[in-house]
Amino acid sequence: MSKMKMADGSTVVRRNRPGTKAKDFCRWPDEPFEEMDSTLAVQQYIQQLIRHNPANIDLILKMPESQDEGVWKYEHLRQFCMELNGLAVRLQGECHPETCTQMTATEQWIFLCAAHKTPKECPAIDYTRHTLDGAACLLNSNKYFPSRVSIKESSVAKLGSVCRRVYRIFSHAYFHHRSIFDEFENETCLCKRFTQFVTKYNLMSKDNLIVPILEDENTPGESEA
Amino acid sequence: MEDNTLNHQNGAQIGPQTVSVTNNKQNEETNPKAQYSIPGILHFIQHEWARFELERSQWEVDRAELQARIAFLQGERKGQENLKNDLVRRIKMLEYALKQERGKFHKLKYGTELQQGDMKPPIIDESSETQMDIDQSYVAVSNSTWKQGRQLLRQYLQEIGYTDRIIDVRSTRVRALLGLNNNTEPEENHNGSSVNGNESNKRASETQGRRTPAKKPQPSSLAEAMMLDTEAAVMANLDFLSNADVDMEDDDDMSDDVDIEPSDDLDDDVKVVKRKGKLDSLGDDVDAEAMEVLNELNLLSESGERQEFKNEHSEWKKGFQSGVPKRPLGLNDDDNIDSALGLGELAQLTVNNDAETTYDIASSKEAFRKTWNAKYTLRSHFDGVRALVFHPNEPVLITASEDHTLKLWNLQKTVPAKKSASLDVEPLYTFRSHTGPVLCLAISGTGEHCYSGGLDGVINCWNIPNSNIDPYDLFEPDVLNTTLQGHSDAVWGLSFLNSKQHLLSCSADGTVKIWAPHNKVQLLNTFTSEADGIPSSVDFVRDEPNRIVAAFASSHCLVFDTETAKPIMRLESSQESVNLNNKQINRIVCHPTLPLTITAHEDRHVRFWDNHTGKMVHSMVAHLDAVTSLAVDPNGLYLLSGSHDCSIRLWHLDNKTCVQEITAHRKKFHESILDVTFHPTRPYIASAGADGLAKVFV
Repeated sequence: MSKMKMADGSTVVRRNRPGTKAKDFCRWPDEPFEEMDSTLAVQQYIQQLIRHNPANIDLILKMPESQDEGVWKYEHLRQFCMELNGLAVRLQGECHPETCTQMTATEQWIFLCAAHKTPKECPAIDYTRHTLDGAACLLNSNKYFPSRVSIKESSVAKLGSVCRRVYRIFSHAYFHHRSIFDEFENETCLCKRFTQFVTKYNLMSKDNLIVPILEDENTPGESEA
Repeated sequence: MEDNTLNHQNGAQIGPQTVSVTNNKQNEETNPKAQYSIPGILHFIQHEWARFELERSQWEVDRAELQARIAFLQGERKGQENLKNDLVRRIKMLEYALKQERGKFHKLKYGTELQQGDMKPPIIDESSETQMDIDQSYVAVSNSTWKQGRQLLRQYLQEIGYTDRIIDVRSTRVRALLGLNNNTEPEENHNGSSVNGNESNKRASETQGRRTPAKKPQPSSLAEAMMLDTEAAVMANLDFLSNADVDMEDDDDMSDDVDIEPSDDLDDDVKVVKRKGKLDSLGDDVDAEAMEVLNELNLLSESGERQEFKNEHSEWKKGFQSGVPKRPLGLNDDDNIDSALGLGELAQLTVNNDAETTYDIASSKEAFRKTWNAKYTLRSHFDGVRALVFHPNEPVLITASEDHTLKLWNLQKTVPAKKSASLDVEPLYTFRSHTGPVLCLAISGTGEHCYSGGLDGVINCWNIPNSNIDPYDLFEPDVLNTTLQGHSDAVWGLSFLNSKQHLLSCSADGTVKIWAPHNKVQLLNTFTSEADGIPSSVDFVRDEPNRIVAAFASSHCLVFDTETAKPIMRLESSQESVNLNNKQINRIVCHPTLPLTITAHEDRHVRFWDNHTGKMVHSMVAHLDAVTSLAVDPNGLYLLSGSHDCSIRLWHLDNKTCVQEITAHRKKFHESILDVTFHPTRPYIASAGADGLAKVFV
């Protein structure tokens, strides 16, 4: 619940106090990006835009001037991994190791889970979980991403591989658990945003984008491991 | 004759007679004893024997005392001998210094040579001066004084037990001798009326930017080589000082080349100190001791630097044991007194006291309590960590975050990190089930189950996996044990009672519910308070059964009886109704043993309440911004409070004083630290931040 001290003037305290109702969570006036002085400013800004309207993808992906592109991509990827948790939770109910014994999308390829020492053929739900956990470790690791305000050149390449693996979760859900995918997509527009994101910043090759999320991007290409 | 003979005979007879008489007497003697009977005799003998034994033991004691006294006197005598030697040395040094300065004045007229600009401890300077003197006059003597110095060092080592006392005694005597006050201001010392002070002034001014001309003239090539060697050795030892005092260079210039003896002494100092350090204390202290040595040395240079240095030094002292600094200090004192003569010694004496006093302060600070230092950083959440709990026994904790997940961490599985400041930990397991931010956590007393409540209004009960699992293992759906549905809005507070396996929850829907998660019927009771609004935090009353306390948005707390579901007591906070949001209670905790309830308020206060009377016992401004979380240590002695001002404070519950403040976590919007907790059995405390990190302190 935002706390507006109207009597005092213009101090807005952006806090979720204990006792805040779910509908009031993070319901405070927006803060312009330029005025954000925290190290987590980019994350704050992105989350603010998404809360406003998750479907306004162009606005969400639009990078403010004077913002470092590497950091922008990094923070967006963090947000994607966080939101994908919602999809994973829904899949947990339906995607069982007995039914989806491997991580596949279309019939051509089987994806191996890279979270293990040697790539392993994990069942789909394990692949999903491991990929998300692995992405969390990587994106939070002090070694590759020690700072939230500047990204090392060498670490930018890692973003691409995370995107590729994470995309497979979308593709598996689309092809094997269509209802869950649709429900989730209606709520969050996450796949569409993700697709637009990786296209805009060239983080994945177009051939890998197999989920027909946009009318004009209906490429039935083969996916690669 | 006959008489004689008769006498003789008589005598002889008397003799035997006397003998017999004596015999008789003896007999009589014995007879009287015999009259007393054999036991009497035995008794007497025993008595005498006991007496002898007593006397013997007393003699032993006396002998031991006398021996101790002898030893002490011997020590004193040695000390006084040393003192005498020092004084003699000082006299020699003063004489030499005088000669030196005369020489310098003389040489200045002829220009000076530049010396290499390495940092040389002034101590070398001093001894080098003596050395120079000796070199100038007697080469042989130099060696002997060197050996003498070494011998003294060795002696001091041997006299470890007496070192402190002797130093104190000597230092006071020397000071008394020189009529020097015990100043903490080295400047004063320099500017003091003592001859030495003046000399130091002279010397300092003299050597401003000048190289001592006495650099190379006399020393033989051998000496030069040795000097260079020792110079290198000293440089290696003192490298870390290189960023310190600029003014030191003055004295360094003064110090001519590093002469062997002094630098060796210095080396010995450092080595000795280091050796002692290893013997007596942890490795940390070695550096401190070296620093102390250098500290001593630096005293010979400008005073200003000295003060700063000491201050740095005393700051260093935070982690050290109290006893340790004293000893090496004493050693340094010795060594320095040996090798650095004259004013150097005086200056060092004063600084020693300084350092000692600062050490005392630092050590006394540490005597009461441990300082908590950051040890582990838990990075893996994508959004703020709202709550965290420790496992009851193991070094394991669970965090709950706004990224909808909970994560399990084992502090023993750290990631090898380049930065050694704090260790990074990676999570073992991620609990996924909530569809909204997870806001609160509770753990059972056995560490088997943990409970999480979230914005989605759902309370999940989880089976905690083994703390040694592979993070990338197969998914097991039965980690989620059960789900408690009942709240219609966000669940903000959870608390668990081990004795009955009850879980208490409060929610933004205005209710407080108590559950028995593993029973068939899970929901036991619901509590509300119409007048007070939405509960923000709840806890079980720990010193009495069947009581719970809930904090409401009205900033009042109510104590409910769990069986009747009626409020029993009201903890009124006295204030006007204006700006109620300001006084909102963010967290309420009950003391584990006392009838005390503690609340953390949005208005920066932490308030203490008596459970029996309902009155506020104490109120204090705890932070610079809203206080968000509280934790009481398992023994009930300390309180941890975390706040949005990015600081965690540790309070002593007896006198409500802050014993430590730790700054941690960065702000996201206006939130910073969201939860703090103690480990029930191990010395860990942890904090959860809005920046997505959890930190563990030891």
